[in-house]
Amino acid sequence: MIVKLISFFGSRTCSYGAAIADFSSFIMSIVNSFKYLKKVRFRTYYEVIINQTIFTGVNALIIVASIALLAGGTVIIQALTSLPKFGVEGFLGNLLVIIIARELGPLLTALIVISRSGSAIATEISVQKWSKEILSMELIGIDTRLFIVLPRVIASVISICGLIIIFDIVAFLGGYLISQTVVYISLDQFGQTLINAFTFKDIGAAFLKGTLFGITIPVICCYYGLKPVSKFEIPIYVSKAVMRTLFVTIILNIMVSIMFYV
Amino acid sequence: MKRLRDRNPNEFRVGLFILVPITILLMFILLKLGYSLSGSTIDVYLKIDNISSIKKGTSIKLKGYDVGKVVDLTPVYRPALHFLAKMRIQKDIELHEDCSAIILNQNIIGDTVIELRNPYRRGKPLLEGDVIEGLEYVNLEELLKEVNKLLTSVTSTVDVLKQISLESRSNIRDMLANLSNSVGAVNNILQKSQGDILTTLSTFRDTSKVLNEISKELKKNPMKFILKGKKEETQEGKTK
Repeated sequence: MIVKLISFFGSRTCSYGAAIADFSSFIMSIVNSFKYLKKVRFRTYYEVIINQTIFTGVNALIIVASIALLAGGTVIIQALTSLPKFGVEGFLGNLLVIIIARELGPLLTALIVISRSGSAIATEISVQKWSKEILSMELIGIDTRLFIVLPRVIASVISICGLIIIFDIVAFLGGYLISQTVVYISLDQFGQTLINAFTFKDIGAAFLKGTLFGITIPVICCYYGLKPVSKFEIPIYVSKAVMRTLFVTIILNIMVSIMFYV
Repeated sequence: MKRLRDRNPNEFRVGLFILVPITILLMFILLKLGYSLSGSTIDVYLKIDNISSIKKGTSIKLKGYDVGKVVDLTPVYRPALHFLAKMRIQKDIELHEDCSAIILNQNIIGDTVIELRNPYRRGKPLLEGDVIEGLEYVNLEELLKEVNKLLTSVTSTVDVLKQISLESRSNIRDMLANLSNSVGAVNNILQKSQGDILTTLSTFRDTSKVLNEISKELKKNPMKFILKGKKEETQEGKTK
């Protein structure tokens, strides 16, 4: 029994170690590919970046805005029902900044991007690999690391940073609209409270989170997208890609919050 | 614009997607730095001796309404160390150059604000770069120190009064006892001399009757009354 338990832990540790080593070698291969970046024309990636930004950023605007509006409203509803009514107008801005801009904005945006684009990236690359498209590219001398991963990272960073800003603005608007049903606050006063509550540290933290999420989401999804060797493994690795990215995103979010606010 | 949009709609959409958040962010940073997008602010300076309660971002209010904020604090070393707080105020707010600025706390735990007050007799309007003088500095800490000092003084006065009352308690008791004795003595005297008083009063009454009779007699025969005594004297002289 004990031997089985020890061997179980040993095998798990070895498999995790192997996975980490494999992922590290994948990252290193991407980093090594950067030295060929000078030889590649930007126009090669341009279309991919545009298409990826359209899919990850522009097409996600409606869903991000809807979720942001509801999230802002929910935060304000909770605040107005839990906090005392008198004098609450002075704290709504602070509350929205603390909850929406610092935490919910980047995290919910990342979750939306993971569920929409992360799964799509993993599936697309898996299918490309299964249909030997990637092999063909390698055979004609295209660096697939650069051609597949880098444009997606750039598009993802642009999209997530843009979506975070839009999420925050729409959530503030939603919060303001909901707050009008209970307490009257002029838009000027609300805006001033928000501006006073915001600090450059919040902006820095949001951008750092956006950049880190923008790098990790496509990198992990590409890593798992390149894994399947048969078409039956595609859903397994897509599911793994989404779950692992989710996990890493939450860990990164906590780490950045600790770094900036603790 | 339409041609550009039609030529490559994806590029146009991505461009918009990048530009809109960047514009929002820039606007926000400008507002955070205290700039107004419409250019409707002026920068004026506030001369202060102490910056312990003022910091960048401190609100400036007029009649409780937010009219601007402190955007910078600069030390001035001569003639004596003081500070200039750069205040960015809305241009459309009517302020005069001899207005006063009072640093005060919004409430007991609230942030410090600068309250601007226009003078009763208004002078020239406040212009860009003007320095507001005559600052009245109300520091909550100082105020609490003063209140504490006052309370200490009141407590010591009450202690002194208490001591005095304790010391003079026996004297007051003696005085009250003496007063009681004196009242008793006066009462005794009044009781003892009650009979004498009645006799005196009856004598007064008799005397008044006699005087009444004399006055009646005098009214009836004044000459007889006057001469009566003389006749009696002469008769007495004759008999002698």
